[in-house]
Amino acid sequence: MTPSQITITIVGIALSLFIAWFFWFTPKAKTQAAIGASGAQEVAVTVKGGYTPDLIVVKAGQPVRLRFTRQESSACSEMVLFPDFNQSAKLPEGQEVNVEFTPDKPGEYGFQCQMGMLRGKIIVEG
Amino acid sequence: MVKDPVCGMDIDPQSAFARREHMGQTFYFCSQNCVDQFDADPHKYAIAGSIATGFNPDLPLARVELPIVGLQKTDRAQALEAALKAVPGVRAAKVNIGSSVAFVEYEAPTTTREALTRAVKSAGYHVGGAQTRIGIADLHCASCVKFIEDGLKATPGVLDATVNVGTQEATIEYLPEKTSLPQLRHAIEEAGYKTGPAASEEPVDKQRAEHEREYRRLMSKFGLAAIISIPVLIAAYPKFLPIIRDWPMETLRLAWGVSAILTLPVLFYSGGHFFSGAWAALKHRSANMNTLVALGTSAAWLYSTLAVLLPSIFPEGTREPFYDVVAVVIALVVLGQALELRAKGRTSEAIKNLMGLQAKTARVIRDEQEIDLPVEEVLVGDIVLVRPGDKVPVDGELIEGQSAVDESMITGESLPVSKKVGDEVIGATLNKTGAFKFRATKVGKDTALAQIVKLVQDAQNSKAPIARLADTVSGYFVPIVMILAVLTFVIWFDFGPQPQLVFALVTSVTVLIIACPCALGLATPMSLMVGIGKGAENGILIRSGEALQTAHQIKTVVLDKTGTITKGKPELTDVIVTGDWKQADLLRLAASVERSSEHPLADAIVEGAKARQLTLVEPTAFEAVPGHGVIATVEGRRVVLGNLKMMQREASTLGDLEAQAAHLANDGKTPMYVTIDGQAAGIVAVADTVKEDSREAIAALHHMGIEVVMITGDNQRTAQAIARQVGVDRVLAEVLPEDKAHNVHLLQAEGKKVAMVGDGINDAPALAQADVGLAIGTGTDVAIEASDITLIKGSLKGVVTAIEVSRATLRNIKQNLVGAFIYNTLGVPVAMGALYPFFGILLSPLLAGAAMAFSSVTVVSNANRLRTFKPRFSAK
Repeated sequence: MTPSQITITIVGIALSLFIAWFFWFTPKAKTQAAIGASGAQEVAVTVKGGYTPDLIVVKAGQPVRLRFTRQESSACSEMVLFPDFNQSAKLPEGQEVNVEFTPDKPGEYGFQCQMGMLRGKIIVEG
Repeated sequence: MVKDPVCGMDIDPQSAFARREHMGQTFYFCSQNCVDQFDADPHKYAIAGSIATGFNPDLPLARVELPIVGLQKTDRAQALEAALKAVPGVRAAKVNIGSSVAFVEYEAPTTTREALTRAVKSAGYHVGGAQTRIGIADLHCASCVKFIEDGLKATPGVLDATVNVGTQEATIEYLPEKTSLPQLRHAIEEAGYKTGPAASEEPVDKQRAEHEREYRRLMSKFGLAAIISIPVLIAAYPKFLPIIRDWPMETLRLAWGVSAILTLPVLFYSGGHFFSGAWAALKHRSANMNTLVALGTSAAWLYSTLAVLLPSIFPEGTREPFYDVVAVVIALVVLGQALELRAKGRTSEAIKNLMGLQAKTARVIRDEQEIDLPVEEVLVGDIVLVRPGDKVPVDGELIEGQSAVDESMITGESLPVSKKVGDEVIGATLNKTGAFKFRATKVGKDTALAQIVKLVQDAQNSKAPIARLADTVSGYFVPIVMILAVLTFVIWFDFGPQPQLVFALVTSVTVLIIACPCALGLATPMSLMVGIGKGAENGILIRSGEALQTAHQIKTVVLDKTGTITKGKPELTDVIVTGDWKQADLLRLAASVERSSEHPLADAIVEGAKARQLTLVEPTAFEAVPGHGVIATVEGRRVVLGNLKMMQREASTLGDLEAQAAHLANDGKTPMYVTIDGQAAGIVAVADTVKEDSREAIAALHHMGIEVVMITGDNQRTAQAIARQVGVDRVLAEVLPEDKAHNVHLLQAEGKKVAMVGDGINDAPALAQADVGLAIGTGTDVAIEASDITLIKGSLKGVVTAIEVSRATLRNIKQNLVGAFIYNTLGVPVAMGALYPFFGILLSPLLAGAAMAFSSVTVVSNANRLRTFKPRFSAK
């Protein structure tokens, strides 16, 4: 092996490990829902290439209101689905859309776009 | 002199301390204190007259008719009247149960509509005002909300108004006869805001417009990339073109430089959304298709540009650029996205067709004037006129005239349904023969059609369990592909042939580009979309992807007897006579007696006689003998109708009638003996008859390899008689209603997937227990909670179609999933160069781009194939 091959091999393996660490093994920032004027736990979610925030912590047994605003024209994100709550909503570009539900049981519930490219998670705490 | 509304003091308007305008009235105040109090809650003082006296003799009396929702025919009017009269200022209140209207006379400013509404609510009902949403443009401040709400509430006829800054909409409840939409809009405009249609009312059109815009945007991105691809390709493959082949290296290097600059707009305009999407995902520590395309193309561009600018740092033979990869891959992927968008639009065609059924205008009678209104402006309580050939605009109750209405578009029922006064008419159905008037009961989002659309949309976007694997895989897919690309580079660089750097780069870029997580992600949702839409077109509302998936595994179908296999209503089936009696005469006499009876079987006899055009007469000396039968005098004859006990009591000789009665009973019918003037004259028999198409549907289920079980509370004999008629395999008779769920559970214990078909109300527990609960609905009653699937047409053929739709959709989903998995599991290794050591085949990145772009188009197109699905029993 030439020195450049050895270098590339080491860099390649390091890069692979970095990718795995970056996407799978780093803790993500969580956003705690705040009680809004309506008495529901509210969080504003921006939809642009992903959901911001994408990790939302709420309390069980209290109504949750997620206020989605889609800020892109890509058709991928035109709907947001909550399969566990049998809820879905169309997100017209630039318009705030509320999704409301009341999680009863603590646990983790995913939400996503129609084809699952964009994902977020709701963590329900007891 | 005028009165200060706060303190009640008489003051001179000229010398008043201050004045205020409210609800079109001018008020004058004696002091700052009074103004402050008024400003805090102007409404209270403006309507209350003077609080000093509490009563204003100048008040005019106002009258209002409040439509009341929730009144049952059996309710008593007094309770509601008392509640209304208890409101201060109400002089008189009268409730008409039949028309569900409360007439209230009250002192206009003392009593508010809100107070009346509250009183109605406290009595357990609510005011059935119309509800509308009006969009408000550029509404930003929370304080303006109250301002607009107050303005709306002060408009005569408005019961309640709420303004939502989030949706930029006002939701208004109002009495249609007191105000109109223009007046409501005017009230908002008075407050200084522009009004428009409410955004939440028009999601589909808006989405269509957005799709159209996005398609044009993608196509122009594609156009640019495609045009730039041509010179870039020429410069990339000079040895294939006659003149360019002879260019010296310097000219070629210049052409490459031009390519570098030309591909920049392709990267940042045509492919801009890949980069912004990749960046946004990266911020969330996630990766998707955008990440792969962005990485692949930018790696190609950076390498190429380095090779052109600083050729000396690269070994001989690795100094050629790959700008063609940048331009062509972006062009292809963008084209794929555009085509995918088009194909996706077609998957929701069923919904568009459903929405297209809605009538555009309605002819409404207001103030005794016929006016044509857009259907959105029809209000609950409006009287709507429908002429032959018109569409029924909204849901309602027929109040005048009669007709036959084609309801096939909603219920799938092919024959026109006759409608008379009191019958329900459904919006979007087609009036055939006569003109009629109806009172609108449901408009806008509450109509059956709107509910169907909502239900179908929700279901189309739910998940099927089969998608779980694809979901899990696509969650890890992109980072894995990135790691594979890195490893590919390392392997080719370490062990590949010369020039190693070029091979390493080309293969790793190809890996990034060929992998398509979209195909995996799209496989299930697209087929569900079409499949559930297809169900809706055939009168089958499937509530979720899970229900659809389970339905294809059904091995046993449990049918409730009454109302599911049978019509659920007894009908006259046989008239048997003895001696010289004619059937018509016997039936006429028997039916005349039964006219006075309240027994459900009596109705069947009366209806049967009417159906044979017999004229009934009024019986005299009517007597009902509980558990036996009835006796009455008709046209001077003593007619007795009853069971065997009655005949024994009357000491009538029955002869061979007894044997015939036993025969009828064996067939599941209920025979009743008739004696006239003490002589046995014959038998009339009634039975709950089988629906015309039940037998055919059950045969079709058998044909599909499904066991059919009938469940009923009836005795064995009746149950067996019906089972024989329709060809059911297995009968569970004498099952108490509360044991139905348990019986379903026992069938499940045999290890089969069980579907239960019932009416949704009595059978709710059994429907919930079954793996799939199918509720037979009729007409507008679409939102049956306990069911997974609702058959809008009350026919068992719907069960067959539901299973067929489910099987066809699941087959389609499997094709998509298998296709997507195979594509990715074969495509990625080939791109890595797995075939090179054996056959010397290496995939071009351009080909990889094309494959990736069209794999997702293929998935969506395959889902679209489902649109050609034809059920065995066509709904139309």
